[in-house]
Amino acid sequence: MAEYLLEMRGITKEFAGVKAISGIDLKVRAGEIVGLCGENGAGKSTLMKVLSAVHPYGSWEGTILWEGKELKAHTIRETEDAGIVIIHQELMMVPHLSVAENIFLGSELTRGFGFVDYEAMNARATALMQQLKMPDINVALPVLAYSGGKQQLIEVAKALNKNAKLLILDEPTSALTTTETETLLELLREFRSRGMSCVYISHKIDEVAAIADTVTVIRDGAHIGTLPMRELDAGKIIAMMVGREMKNLFPREEHKIGDVIFEAKNVTCWDAINSERKVVDDVSFELRAGEIVGVAGLVGAGRTELACKLFGYWSGDHEGKIFLEGKEITVKNPADAVRQGICMVPEDRKRLGIIPLMPVGYNMTMSVLGRFAHYQLINAEDELAVIQAEIIRMKIKTAHPLLPIASLSGGNQQKAVVDKMLLPDPKVLILDEPTHGVDVGAKYEIYKLIFELARQGVAILMISSEMPEILGIADRVLVIGEGKLRGNFPNVDLSQEKVLAAAIGAEEDAAA
Amino acid sequence: MTLSIPTQASAPAKKSFRRLVAEYKIVALLLVIAVIWAFFGALTYDHSLGVSEFLTARNFSNLLRQMAITGMLASGMLFIIVAAEIDLSVGSLAGLLGGIAAVLDVWWGWPLYGTIAAVVLIGVAAGLMVGWVVAYVGIPSFIVTLGGQLAFRGAVLGITGGITIAPVHNDLKFIGQGYLPGSIGNVLAVALFVMLALLAFRARAGRVKHKLPVSSMPVEVLKLVITGAVIAGFVVTLNSYQGVPVPVLILLVILGVFTIVGDRTVFGRRIYAVGSNLEATRLSGVNVNLVKMLIWGLMGLMCAFAGLTTTARLAAGTPSAGFGSELDAIASCFIGGASMRGGIGTVIGALVGAMIMASLDNGMSMLGIDTFWQQITKGIILVAAVWLDIVTSGAQR
Repeated sequence: MAEYLLEMRGITKEFAGVKAISGIDLKVRAGEIVGLCGENGAGKSTLMKVLSAVHPYGSWEGTILWEGKELKAHTIRETEDAGIVIIHQELMMVPHLSVAENIFLGSELTRGFGFVDYEAMNARATALMQQLKMPDINVALPVLAYSGGKQQLIEVAKALNKNAKLLILDEPTSALTTTETETLLELLREFRSRGMSCVYISHKIDEVAAIADTVTVIRDGAHIGTLPMRELDAGKIIAMMVGREMKNLFPREEHKIGDVIFEAKNVTCWDAINSERKVVDDVSFELRAGEIVGVAGLVGAGRTELACKLFGYWSGDHEGKIFLEGKEITVKNPADAVRQGICMVPEDRKRLGIIPLMPVGYNMTMSVLGRFAHYQLINAEDELAVIQAEIIRMKIKTAHPLLPIASLSGGNQQKAVVDKMLLPDPKVLILDEPTHGVDVGAKYEIYKLIFELARQGVAILMISSEMPEILGIADRVLVIGEGKLRGNFPNVDLSQEKVLAAAIGAEEDAAA
Repeated sequence: MTLSIPTQASAPAKKSFRRLVAEYKIVALLLVIAVIWAFFGALTYDHSLGVSEFLTARNFSNLLRQMAITGMLASGMLFIIVAAEIDLSVGSLAGLLGGIAAVLDVWWGWPLYGTIAAVVLIGVAAGLMVGWVVAYVGIPSFIVTLGGQLAFRGAVLGITGGITIAPVHNDLKFIGQGYLPGSIGNVLAVALFVMLALLAFRARAGRVKHKLPVSSMPVEVLKLVITGAVIAGFVVTLNSYQGVPVPVLILLVILGVFTIVGDRTVFGRRIYAVGSNLEATRLSGVNVNLVKMLIWGLMGLMCAFAGLTTTARLAAGTPSAGFGSELDAIASCFIGGASMRGGIGTVIGALVGAMIMASLDNGMSMLGIDTFWQQITKGIILVAAVWLDIVTSGAQR
């Protein structure tokens, strides 16, 4: 028997010539829980996709040894047969099928001739539920009858049913309550005592610290270190995760910060599907005219949800008061928000930003079309004049203003989407990941624009997962973690470690 | 609305052909009509008289009158399809409104203007109601309008008692059966041409001023000459029979108004935006629910026109009027290049689609082909037309 159950050596994976991960090692012993830590986009998911053959053998470099032998899997089926089972962050369940049917999805027990053997399936599923200490679950009921936490455990049952030797959990607790998390961690400890191994990927460093035997940290696609947990603590893990040099990519410009013009008080939002779960939990803050406020936090912390609520776009339950220039306002939908001077550039440009079949110019004027109209009839002259002026101002590279927006590059699309939200002359501008998927040149222009708007007195709330961007741009940083406001720091001598520690919820002194 | 893509010199030949077809889709559709007409013209050629029955002024007039009602419904349907929705209830609603017109005219003896006003009001209200349920209550339009189809048809049976209501007054009949005197037809044709020419040059001047690509002057003039020839041919042919039929005139006015609505108004721009990306449009601060509801208001108006025209044409209100015509309207839109996924389509395209369907109906009836063959042929033509559109545009729809 080899020393390690799994040994990944020097794994490198490129996407279109860009190295997503480069030379990463990961080793797991039998009966060991390995914590895998890294910031957003560090390469954790890519590494797991290599392991589970989502990226098949041959599309990456390096070697994977499984039980001492080289593994050359081309399909997920092969890795699952070997005993590597991954549980994704988003649950992969068919909600209207029963618990048992979900557990056996793709490997149904039959009586022959394609007839499903429900009795055998239900009996086996019930036994699994006993094993998971959830005897009260009726395996014949549809999955949607159970809460997100129970569903997560059913997902674990599905993995156990595949005779997993190595269980990979990707952010398993992001949708769980505290008690449900405890149950899951307890189960994992029990599996460990029976010899099963586990890779535990989480942003929640305290969970990793509580359960892992060994921790591997990766950053920007590179392997930073692997240490036994007893030599580590939360602060050391964070220092390893960040450890990046700040480069001066930001055109910081002086701008005057005025009076408070926007206030959010006690904003709480509940998940649209799991209506028990709070995604934003009692957040209050204020914005001043000409102030750039960065919102930091890990993916799924509730930042986008907060932005949506402020813009009247949150579909679940929500409460909280919003004040603009001292007066309380109601924002029922985005049209309300735009009319009152609150604009938002959404995170997902392709899904929520561009109107793909329309020309770039018409995309920009969509928010203010009424301005060019006299009794509904659009004055094409006036509209084109504005479009051309804006194309020059925003430095949008397009052959002509009526080219379909989908034919432009990501950066130019983003500039058009941002411009659409500038034309209504907002008092408050919310930018959700404004530089996501945008090349360096366009990024720089977007930063310059942000400073120009601040000089004009617009209050800017910028959500970003790129820590250097937040620290390079913002006057003040709000940190959101698990839906709560965990930090409100002026951006003076603020370190990435301090922000990340607040985001994770670690103690102040843990941040080195 | 046409979103023309400028042809790039470097584009490979296949791609530029696709672009050409995409840009001049309407030309391709007109070619299809020409082929169909040539086909039926040859088959109905009468050697003793030296003319083909299909290609007479009388038959052209009939053809246009036949397509007028489908065309009205297709015009309203186009905006619904562009907004990525569907309406299965228009045939029943048009039937209901036609029935109401007959009841008001025959049984209650209302004057024409009263009948028209009432039918239009009820039509718009019914449309807005359907639109409200779709947009604000959030029930998928397929379901809402499937329910509407049954409910409206039931209402027709209820108010007519299942019997034919006849005869309607002559002034109402004029809407469906009347003709414009030749002189008025000529004056309207000239006025239309002058207006189109002025608009074309104004639009060109605007594009030049903003340094947008324009086609060269000779091409521009050629386009106008062709337009003029089509208008002249149209009016002269119809005048040589009895003049421009009134329902056709109504349809042409609808075509003009709807084209302007689609191309030049805030409302129209928003319809295309909603169909192309609903959520992005909502996040642009557009009240997308209101846009959807108003589209159905327009559809209701078109149902009112179609219902009135049907009753006028038959000179009676019948419980089965408009049965199945929602499918003809939907087919016309798709044949005319509208996209199943929304965001693409033109009113003129939908009407040319309606013309293709009407030509097939008319030609096959003239040849004495059984109804079942007619239906099979129309079904195949619909699928083939959309398939052709997919292979030429290289896009999924």
